[in-house]
Amino acid sequence: MNAWKIAWFEYRRRIRSKWFIIGTFGMPILILVITLGTGYLAGSGAGIETKHFGMIDETARYGEQLTDILDKRFADKEAPPFRIAVTNGSYESLQTQFDALVDDKTLDGYFVLPHDFLSNPTIRNYSRSSSNFRSTDIIKSELKELLIKERAINLDLSAEVLDEIFFDIDIAHFEVGASEERETDELIADYIAPFIFMFLLFLGIFTGGQLLLRAVLEERSSRVIEVLLSTVSYNELMGGKILGLGLLGLTQSSIYLLVSFFAGNYYELSILTPAIGLLYFTYFILGYLLYAGIYIGVGALFDSEQEAQQAIQIITFIAIIPMVLWTLVIENPNSTLVNVLSYIPLVTPFFMMIKIAIGETTNIQVLTTIILMMVSVYGSIRLSAKVFRTGILLYGKRITLPEIYRWIRA
Amino acid sequence: MIELQGISKTYDSIAAVSDLNMTIQAGRIYGFLGPNGAGKTTAIRMLMNIIIPDTGSILFDGISQRPPSNQIGYLPEERGLYQKISVFETLQYFAHLRDVSDPNTKIKDYLQRFDLGTRLQSKVSELSKGNQQKLQFINTILHDPQYIVLDEPFSGLDPVNQLLLKEILEEKKQAGKTIIFSSHQMDQVEKLCDDVALINHGYLVTAGDLSTIMKSEGLPQLQVTPVDEEDLTHKCFSAYDSIEKDGSIYIEIGTQSKQEIISTLNKSIDLKTVRVAEQGLEEIFIHLVKGSQ
Repeated sequence: MNAWKIAWFEYRRRIRSKWFIIGTFGMPILILVITLGTGYLAGSGAGIETKHFGMIDETARYGEQLTDILDKRFADKEAPPFRIAVTNGSYESLQTQFDALVDDKTLDGYFVLPHDFLSNPTIRNYSRSSSNFRSTDIIKSELKELLIKERAINLDLSAEVLDEIFFDIDIAHFEVGASEERETDELIADYIAPFIFMFLLFLGIFTGGQLLLRAVLEERSSRVIEVLLSTVSYNELMGGKILGLGLLGLTQSSIYLLVSFFAGNYYELSILTPAIGLLYFTYFILGYLLYAGIYIGVGALFDSEQEAQQAIQIITFIAIIPMVLWTLVIENPNSTLVNVLSYIPLVTPFFMMIKIAIGETTNIQVLTTIILMMVSVYGSIRLSAKVFRTGILLYGKRITLPEIYRWIRA
Repeated sequence: MIELQGISKTYDSIAAVSDLNMTIQAGRIYGFLGPNGAGKTTAIRMLMNIIIPDTGSILFDGISQRPPSNQIGYLPEERGLYQKISVFETLQYFAHLRDVSDPNTKIKDYLQRFDLGTRLQSKVSELSKGNQQKLQFINTILHDPQYIVLDEPFSGLDPVNQLLLKEILEEKKQAGKTIIFSSHQMDQVEKLCDDVALINHGYLVTAGDLSTIMKSEGLPQLQVTPVDEEDLTHKCFSAYDSIEKDGSIYIEIGTQSKQEIISTLNKSIDLKTVRVAEQGLEEIFIHLVKGSQ
């Protein structure tokens, strides 16, 4: 009963804090602004700086053709990624002039098309930096197409034949058993949604964990802990805190999921199904409880937040692994590496969430990981209870690992 | 009645409390004394069930089970309050944990009594040190516990509020509550306590009725006041077991007679007054602590 009272106190106290409100509602808004904002920027060309390149065309032929092709390619863009000014002539005669233009930053760099370009397709690029990969790739592919056509003409192939040879392939995407073609938005959502679910899970678990750490440190440093422990038992206190802040994380996650659900509906994308929602909450609860045990144990060992945060860094680092490997999981969900990582309790919820969201897991895997998580939660809470009970009232003492080992064994 | 029966606690092979035996009678005020690091806080924490003793047992009215939390009020030595929530929320939370009936009325009544009525919605961090101590005390007694345990309750309080606190403790005693408090302020202990226990290095030095201890342990002493205040630090006093207090030197009368001491002092300094005095609790405390080293 006391655990519920503590839980309610912690929940009520934090949910009204401005930081929780800002964090909870600010995060989806921030994600929305970033997503829509980058989309707008990409579409409008705003934020893109047009680079200016020169080209010395020793063939006096392909340079002009290239600029025509590029003009057409970038016709619908307000700001093309780059422009090319072509000068026919030899490199020897123009080098000094072009180097000067690069030096005074009139040009970002220049290309040289050699006189024997058709038989020796090598372009030389002179620039201040090597960050022009995207521009050089476009130039390379357009010139390659020009040369192929030129060589085809030399082989007496007609324009009609060329059109027959060069064509694009369209891929139509269907869900198995469905007759309606899937749209690009859906495909993107399929790719991004698993990451979003994993990210929200990460956010919910670690927000709860961090709050738990701070709550323990606050009570420890302000000595409220003594008054509390004279009123309630260790288990009630620890249980109440875990429960209250877990409910807070659950509230936050529910808000995030609701936003995802309504956003998905708005764009007519079915990214959140009841099964995904249910498993999301299952892994959230198990993941939170596992980390709660760790956070509360660490909170009981240190006097200052700085020391505690340093100690928890290694755990946070492990938990970041799924954030780094998410594309690998999406593209290779059943690889040995991903399967092994899915059974490491500290990262199980995050890897499993991605696999579930892309539909690449089995009921057996879900069940076994849930059982594994339950066992880990039991161990984590049990060990941290021992550390909490012994360490929480030890002030100003640097606690060593052998000491912690002794407490756990006691 | 609370009985501590042979309780001990050791940390890293250092004994914080060793075989402590104490009996605290119901309806009395029990002073728990000892120098810094004597083991008082550890003993109190064991009493509060915050720490489990390695050996021994603690009985409340003959039962080894700790009474429900609403029967115990505890004021720790260091202020234990949430700093970022209001005075009202703090008291409400603990009242809720202790199942206090009609808590709001009780909270307002106590805050009025301690002159904190207008600070209901203030954050705890906005209160002065003294007001935080008052708030902590209210939190200790709000649920009208049968057992009240106070670790340095007068710390940070001005004389007016010390008086108010004493008044309330007397009321609680009259109501049959058992009060234990530790303090370094011997004058407060002397005025307030019925019984005392002195511990040093984790061991019990003495325990029992305060007046009996004062009679049995208190040694006769000479209270000497020099004409010149500067003579309070004169080297002639170093030959005796003495302490300086309130402009006088208190000398323990040992093997030498009163006359011998006075004539020796008269050779070195001019004395304004000389009288025989009983040792106060502070002197007894110092004497016993030195004797137990």
